[in-house]
Amino acid sequence: MTPGADDQAARWLDAQLHLLDRQVLDVDGVPMAVVDDLELSDVPVGEEIPIDTAPPVITALLSGPVLATRIFGGRPPDSHLERTPWTAVAEVGVVIKLAIGQETSDVVWTERWVRDRIIGRIPGGRHIPEQEQNDHPQNEERAES
Amino acid sequence: MIITDLLGSRVFGPDFLGFVSDVRFVLESGSVRQPAQLYGIIVSPHARSSSLGFERSGVRSPWPVAALVRWRHRDSFLVRWGDIERLDVDRIQLRPGFQRGSPELP
Repeated sequence: MTPGADDQAARWLDAQLHLLDRQVLDVDGVPMAVVDDLELSDVPVGEEIPIDTAPPVITALLSGPVLATRIFGGRPPDSHLERTPWTAVAEVGVVIKLAIGQETSDVVWTERWVRDRIIGRIPGGRHIPEQEQNDHPQNEERAES
Repeated sequence: MIITDLLGSRVFGPDFLGFVSDVRFVLESGSVRQPAQLYGIIVSPHARSSSLGFERSGVRSPWPVAALVRWRHRDSFLVRWGDIERLDVDRIQLRPGFQRGSPELP
């Protein structure tokens, strides 16, 4: 059952070996999540699978609180798992790179919420400190001297 | 279905065969721009845990780890999707006359 000549161009991915627990980076290379699980397209469960049934495909990478279920068994509720569609994947390697930015994904909604509702309300919390420092009039004076 | 529903499941042919230690997908053109299709399951007769890929590649070092993992996952085999007859919670039934393939990565 080794791959034939037609499979020379194919790429093989073992879930545990190549996908699960991999770091996910967004289009800017910023760490976004870790692959905790994979969502498969519809698979008939609890009934006989007709012999010509098309194989399921990966529809999404899932991230969420899976530590407890990995230790004690079971699975977290679907609502606790954030989905990143497979169509957003740009590259699979040591890390998984996406073709989308964090702003378009729900995976980092907690970080966005903390940024907007808490950090953003602290004075000075809505701008980048380095930019502010470079724009400071004292810096221009130093450069001239 | 999510992948952890499959991992660790018990696999049966005529009798008990082992546990699903990994699930193999294929990108037919090699590009991640296309869907990753489920190709088959890797069945380990002795261990549920991940085998870290030692038995699926030519990696031999560090030798104590490689030897231990290879021993734990000895006689592992690959079963293609077409040979899976039924999926249940924690149980996978294979079709009569299913074929055992090499778990090694091409």
